[in-house]
Amino acid sequence: MQKLLLIINIILLLVSPSITRAESNENETGKVTLSGYVHDQSNGEVLMGVSIYCAETKSGAVSNLYGFYSVSLMPGKYHLRYSYVGYKTLEKEIQLDKNLTLDINLEPVEAVLGEVVITGKRTDENVRAPEMSLMKMDIKTIRRVPALLGEIDIIKVLQLLPGVQSTSEGSSGFSVRGGSSDQNLILLDEATIFNASHLMGFFSVFNNDAVTDVALYKGDIPASYGGRLSSLLDVRMKDGNAKNFGVTGSIGTVSSKLTVEGPIIKDGTTFLVSCRRTYADLFLPLAKDENVRKSKLYFYDINMKLSHVINENNRLYLSGYSGRDTFKNEFASMGFGNQTASFRWNHLFTKKLFFNLSLIFSNYNYALGTPEGDASSFKWTSQMREYSTRFDFTHYLSDTHTLRYGATFMFHEFSPGKATGLGTESVVTEFVLPKEYALEHSLYVSDEYKATSKLTLKYGLRFALFQNIGPGTYYNFDSNYDRIDSTVYTRGNIFHTYPSLEPRLAFTYLLNKVSSFKGSYSHTAQYLTLAQNSTAGTPLDIWFPATPNVKPQLCDQVGIGYFHNLKSNMFEISAETYFKNYRNVIDFRDHALLLLNPYLEGELRIGTGYSYGIETMIRKNDGALTGWVSYTYSRSFRVIPEINNGNKYNAPYDKPHSVNIVLNYDVSKRFNASATWVYATGLPVTFPTGRAVIGNSIIPIYSNRNAYRMPDYHRLDMSVSYKGKDKPGRKWHGEWNLSIYNVYNRHNAWAINFTQDAADPNVTYAEKTYLFAIIPALTYNFKF
Amino acid sequence: MKYFAHIFIILFISLAVFSCTEKIDIKLDESYARLVVDGSITSDTMAQTIRLSSTSSYYYNQPAPMVSGAKVTITDGTQTFPLSEKTPGIYQTASSVFGIPGKTYQLNISLAKPIGGYADYFATSTMYPVRQLDSISLLYHPEWSKEGIWEVKCYVQEPPTVDFYRFLILRNHTMLTDSLDEWFVTDDVFFNGNYTNGATVAYLQQGASQESLSPGDDVTVEVNGIGKDYYDFVMEAQAELRGSNPLFSGPPANVKGNISNGAVGSFNAYSATRSSTKVPVFK
Repeated sequence: MQKLLLIINIILLLVSPSITRAESNENETGKVTLSGYVHDQSNGEVLMGVSIYCAETKSGAVSNLYGFYSVSLMPGKYHLRYSYVGYKTLEKEIQLDKNLTLDINLEPVEAVLGEVVITGKRTDENVRAPEMSLMKMDIKTIRRVPALLGEIDIIKVLQLLPGVQSTSEGSSGFSVRGGSSDQNLILLDEATIFNASHLMGFFSVFNNDAVTDVALYKGDIPASYGGRLSSLLDVRMKDGNAKNFGVTGSIGTVSSKLTVEGPIIKDGTTFLVSCRRTYADLFLPLAKDENVRKSKLYFYDINMKLSHVINENNRLYLSGYSGRDTFKNEFASMGFGNQTASFRWNHLFTKKLFFNLSLIFSNYNYALGTPEGDASSFKWTSQMREYSTRFDFTHYLSDTHTLRYGATFMFHEFSPGKATGLGTESVVTEFVLPKEYALEHSLYVSDEYKATSKLTLKYGLRFALFQNIGPGTYYNFDSNYDRIDSTVYTRGNIFHTYPSLEPRLAFTYLLNKVSSFKGSYSHTAQYLTLAQNSTAGTPLDIWFPATPNVKPQLCDQVGIGYFHNLKSNMFEISAETYFKNYRNVIDFRDHALLLLNPYLEGELRIGTGYSYGIETMIRKNDGALTGWVSYTYSRSFRVIPEINNGNKYNAPYDKPHSVNIVLNYDVSKRFNASATWVYATGLPVTFPTGRAVIGNSIIPIYSNRNAYRMPDYHRLDMSVSYKGKDKPGRKWHGEWNLSIYNVYNRHNAWAINFTQDAADPNVTYAEKTYLFAIIPALTYNFKF
Repeated sequence: MKYFAHIFIILFISLAVFSCTEKIDIKLDESYARLVVDGSITSDTMAQTIRLSSTSSYYYNQPAPMVSGAKVTITDGTQTFPLSEKTPGIYQTASSVFGIPGKTYQLNISLAKPIGGYADYFATSTMYPVRQLDSISLLYHPEWSKEGIWEVKCYVQEPPTVDFYRFLILRNHTMLTDSLDEWFVTDDVFFNGNYTNGATVAYLQQGASQESLSPGDDVTVEVNGIGKDYYDFVMEAQAELRGSNPLFSGPPANVKGNISNGAVGSFNAYSATRSSTKVPVFK
């Protein structure tokens, strides 16, 4: 801990001269700074990614993750434009003589939806933003997409974007640009979520009532983040309504939700508490099967957040999440869930130097057991934790340079598994996998440089260190992956270090007012891997760290894209292409044992991989009809010497073609209809090409790895929502939502198995399992 | 690690609410033919049997093509037992042959004509000892299903060595667990060196005619001491037989046997002991 404090001091010392330099620069150039926070006028939530554009200088800025912006200009009179998708553009005339703090409130467009009035100029962020491969979603768009069982889900909506694929029907796991689902860094208010699934993945841990903003970086991952190869999913929780006390909720087919938010101290402190619980188990007593009747099956989520504005230079945020799934029946019970906590302090050293300190905790654990009273009664638990501190600085150095730099310190604790006997009758021997510990640190710096009015460059460097720290027991393996011996490390002994230098480069070149050309390169390293052998995974899958035996997985990605807006930014068109090269890719041996296996590292098989693709999309953000259409072509391969005889094979999430159509139509102020259609090539699979009879059973002989494909997947979902009448003075706002999943009742294969006929055991046939036929669901949402 | 079976059950309940199955036409290619060996030598005095067949296309829909005319022997290094073909593909020793725990046996096969490019194959297997159970017991759980489920429990002092077992169930001296997918094989990770005190070795469905019990029936548990290779072989084969799904299953993969030259199947030396009990009056 002392070391940590020392490092903090060093950083602050490094920063302070640059602060003074920044100030002196100001004096030299005579520029003054306009800065402030951007809020939603209706509820006071901060808005991130709002573009601020100065007509006179043709320069601008974007509000950061905490809604803060800063622009440096020569003293004078300016016309500034604040614009953000879904909000009325605000134009302000400002006389700027000295440093000025200007907090802005933007009015949501929703109030005028359905009317033909078009609001000001639309944002051209798609073309102008110096980022590519970034998908942003505001919660209003997400809410309109038809959902399985009416349970609107952020991750399910992300899976409708080009380059993002679900790992299996109904799963919360997703693959970005051919990567594995564990290569996505999923953050909720900066805390890592290790398992984003509820109820076998049919729902994700994100309660959309508690979320304000979702950003998915598919490439061009900012230098401030690392540790995963494929993507960064940054989910931000609402701060809570700063203006009024409010209650929102919904009563749905599978779950109910309630959110309470409001100011505690006017314009000072706000709170938000949001809860969700499913009640599928309430219907289980109606089931025919007695075992099902006696089962329990539910999950809940609680999100909480406190925000406090100390003064114009200091803000505090405290947020937490806790969720848990419970399954229980006569034979066994199981529970799993994530808990996170993040404390953040925003501080303005100057109007040009924004600082954020975060203290973060995340935890994932599960427990599985059988009831007491039997010789084989047992309880099995597993847990992993992460403690981290982040220092992030945004330095608005000048109107051409924005520097971002900072440091992170992280401590990982793995308790991969422990099985013990339960009760006096049990004879089960205690079986404990040794705990593992690791440190992960990083320093980063990046600069966003507006080189000319047309060219913006972004370049950064991230230096990361991953260290294994004792106590720990590690096994050594021979070339056949058989265990030779083990090494025991004492407490506090840092016995292995992996450094990595990760450059991140990007450029945006404006061809004209409505089109741009962008490119990026990034190098990423991943130190934690999920021991998951199946495509969708289960809550029991555990994460394991890089060790002397397991090198970190590495990825280099290059991407270029063309962005074009039509009809004064009403339509956004984009086409991106990418190539990714992976090193030290981890796969597993045939019939690998990944759970409760002390020699897990002996089950790994390491190789290389690559993926490439083209993503095209046309999106309409404004008007009565909104939505997008996208087509993606993508391929992903692996080459691992001990798998598939060393021949190249299709990676588990290789889906060459996919089409997504998402449409939303505001029929009137109160009536809204939406539809989505998805199509994707079937996942690669391994099928039998022969059979052998052994022990009176027909044992399949298989093809090469992933040589076949599942049938193509396609599905149409629709939903309509109808709002109650708004009357002046009426506080209660209600809305009915009817959603239909899989409208044309396609039996999309979830699994294909080959079985022996019960009547004639010599006959074998293929059988598909499908999960969802057509499923309607009704939800009532309310707000008062 | 039969405990995983429990997990599967409870987790599947949540899926069973939605999932359905139906037949589907899938076109499959055909791979080349390989020799299939299915045989063993046991500590029982009997005609030890080796079954030779060949692989077929997956939709062959007939009994496996048997391989005749091979020369088959089993040797322990000092003694060699010749096997003769009784019916096509079924090769047996004399009925006086038995294996001895601790010895390593080698199977040699010489085919009349090559299959998959090879005519000569061999495999070795070491016989591991097994203890006589102190006793077995039956516990009836009427509430576990409509007709109820029998739990077969065993009582024995498990030795401190690393051991692997196969459990087979006989009803009135007829084998109930007559195919590989019904066997229960286990390691001793959770029981090593303990008194098992009634650990479950089988479940019998009273509702299924092949498994239902009547008062007075004789129930016998045969315990086999097996090696790790054979344990892995059975576990892998069972995993492939139980089908796969996106949640639990890794990519399907061929079952690794111990026969040379790419032949499929296994040759297994194992020891056997038996314990019996009578079905009590129940219901």
